[in-house]
Amino acid sequence: MSLEFLNAFKFQKKNTFVHNLDPRAKLLFSIVYSISALMFTEIVPLFIIFLTLIPMILLGKMVKEWIRSIRGLSFLVIMIIVLNTFFISLGYAIAMIIRISIMITAFSIFFLTVHPNDLALSLISMKVPYPYAFSFSLAFRFVPTIANEAQNIMDAQQSRGYEMKTSGLINQIKNLFPLLVPLIICSIKRAFNVAEALESRAFGSFKDRTYYYIIEYKFKDWLFTIYLICFFIITIYVRIHFSFMPEWFAWEMGV
Amino acid sequence: MPQDYPLIVVNDVDYSYLNGTVALKKINLKIFKGELVGIMGKNGAGKTTLIRTFNGLIRPTNGNIYINAENIKSKTTGTLSQKVGIIFQNPQHQVFSNTVEEEIKYSLKSLNLSKSETQFKTDEILKKFNLDKYRERSPLNLSGGETKKLAVASIFCRDPEILIFDEPTLGQDAKEISFFIELINSEMKKGKTIIIVTHNIEFAMEYIPRTVLMADGKIVADGPTKKIITHEFLVTKSALVLPQISQFNLALNKIGIACPDTIYSKNTMIEFLADYIRNKSKVVSGENN
Repeated sequence: MSLEFLNAFKFQKKNTFVHNLDPRAKLLFSIVYSISALMFTEIVPLFIIFLTLIPMILLGKMVKEWIRSIRGLSFLVIMIIVLNTFFISLGYAIAMIIRISIMITAFSIFFLTVHPNDLALSLISMKVPYPYAFSFSLAFRFVPTIANEAQNIMDAQQSRGYEMKTSGLINQIKNLFPLLVPLIICSIKRAFNVAEALESRAFGSFKDRTYYYIIEYKFKDWLFTIYLICFFIITIYVRIHFSFMPEWFAWEMGV
Repeated sequence: MPQDYPLIVVNDVDYSYLNGTVALKKINLKIFKGELVGIMGKNGAGKTTLIRTFNGLIRPTNGNIYINAENIKSKTTGTLSQKVGIIFQNPQHQVFSNTVEEEIKYSLKSLNLSKSETQFKTDEILKKFNLDKYRERSPLNLSGGETKKLAVASIFCRDPEILIFDEPTLGQDAKEISFFIELINSEMKKGKTIIIVTHNIEFAMEYIPRTVLMADGKIVADGPTKKIITHEFLVTKSALVLPQISQFNLALNKIGIACPDTIYSKNTMIEFLADYIRNKSKVVSGENN
């Protein structure tokens, strides 16, 4: 098992329409799409929502990264298919896969196109206190580092005979200890080191601070926000008046 | 002594990471039984990636690896780790048990030994690594050097045929390095094959007879360590620094003292300089007479 797929959520600097959008607009985008996906359990509306995401992927030139993030979650997809087909139906399982793909894609677009510094700045502009905004952006920045560390721990344990796959639930839980204990210890140590490094650079010594970069909501951001609001209103309208929609809209797999 | 039998054969191996980074390009390498080989090169040259292919932690994108003439393609990491033991750079990545003793026992678990055999092997390895006194202590409370020792011990107790060390001298004091050197010597006597990934050029110069030099995912040189790491062009290409003895040698040549480039050790250099001074003083005293 490789944790390399987590790199698919790592910011990549590119000069595209999506990258140049304000981080707040992109945060709104991820939230709107996730809520919209949660509103439906039918294949057709979910698939339509999913299709509206494709232009964003193409505009952001991140097809490869997106495929990688989806591929990395293949295990989860298999689990959803197996459990939902077994307990509910195959149609419901497919709907759930589309739903989770929408949510992953929306957040993947956000993480791939928002620099951690911009994330902190956008939180500050939403009146979140700087230490909290900074901690949040720092946590976000450390995701690939921790993924990398988890991979190294896995390699070190496998080199001394650790087997990833064991039978039985209790054994599988027990089997997580050799990975989780070193990962938690290393993460705590890193957190202390980062805290010391920050303090040694006078973090928090002044209550008010200025910023070198200032983010601005431009015309294209407003345009994008209007699109999101319209999209959200339509989604809510469709949900409320679902019974008045054409028959094909509520199509269900007969399996 | 190395035997003529190639224990590890790497055939046209390529490896690319998921993000598209090509880490290994057409690697061809033979490592013989009983050999001590160093792998050197700058950060990102592909050294660690290469060693990770030896026990199946990562699988080559192209090409094949043979261990004991067997293609490892279909072997699991679990099976391969009985033959190939890798000791990684950061020992903190593997300690998790409540006590040092349990940490060793965990490594022995997958070998399916009896209870008495496991206890015997644990006692033996703890004594060998001077960790006996910490037996009941939490591995998380050991010092950096001791944790490294424990990490090495937990691989040694499995008795693999091939031992691979990733930066073993990093962050180690002189006493710990000399313990490590003794350990390598004793394993070499047992006929083990040892591969060491290192940036420590002085250490390589003194203890490693053969070096594989890597740059940009390729092997750029493979041969006697002393020849490779005193080669100015190769060393610069691999972002390494010439050993102090070679730097001294070059400095002597620059000021007009013809120092042969076959001088690799401190003692030979002292002998050369002593001869040079003796000859020079003879000439000076001859001129004065």
